[in-house]
Amino acid sequence: MQRRTLMAASAAALALPALAQPQAKAPLTNAALAPNPAEFRKAMADFAQGRKPQAEGLHLDVPTLADNPAAVPVKVKVTLPITEQDWCEEIIVLADLNPAPLACRLQFTAAAGTAEAAVRVRLSQSQTVHALARMKSGKLLAASHAVTVAASGCGM
Amino acid sequence: MNQKPPRVWISNATPKKGEVLRVRAQIEHVMESGLRQDEAGKIRPRNIVTRFEAHLGTALLFAWEPGISISQNPYIEFTFLARESGELRLHWKDDAGQTASASKAIAVV
Repeated sequence: MQRRTLMAASAAALALPALAQPQAKAPLTNAALAPNPAEFRKAMADFAQGRKPQAEGLHLDVPTLADNPAAVPVKVKVTLPITEQDWCEEIIVLADLNPAPLACRLQFTAAAGTAEAAVRVRLSQSQTVHALARMKSGKLLAASHAVTVAASGCGM
Repeated sequence: MNQKPPRVWISNATPKKGEVLRVRAQIEHVMESGLRQDEAGKIRPRNIVTRFEAHLGTALLFAWEPGISISQNPYIEFTFLARESGELRLHWKDDAGQTASASKAIAVV
């Protein structure tokens, strides 16, 4: 009896990965979680204010495979030197396929002396997390990282 | 918003001058996105933390404006340079007008 159940269980386990392959990217069924590309572009444009971002200087740390889509840890850090003359004013974190792409704004001051923060975001589907930083001098920094989640983090 | 006080952790309450201090804070908050519906089909109104501020004495160190994409029970971690002693005051405010506060004393040696 035990051997028969073991064989049945292993056959089921072998069959599952084959079935899972075509459903790797399950579509969102809830219309309220639909991406908002217009708002994403607007959030990027409002922050950039016409300036071109540079790829060096902003470190974005986000897991490639997030085990909890309702709490994906995002760390941002400006690696350029923070001085009395030039410090980071604001960093924004964006999730390009979320219903609300602008995840948060982080505002730093000269009194802080650093520009490093970490938050947890929820992602409706696998997408790319972007971060944009603006220095007092007007320099714009950008970083992005693709994240894969197995389910929606919105609890709906 | 909170029956429990905010959970705050500071890397060093007695830092040397110029040391980088790390602060982690978390409050309990439902962070209702405004996209969910209850059983009757009525939209649960949006209620999220809209602003978080960290002051050392009167000087503003860091501010955070979360949106609906921030997780429930919002977690925030930030750093700052320890230059002077003072009271680190953290303050949260949400859509419903509720607030939460926490403070820790920093003594620069």
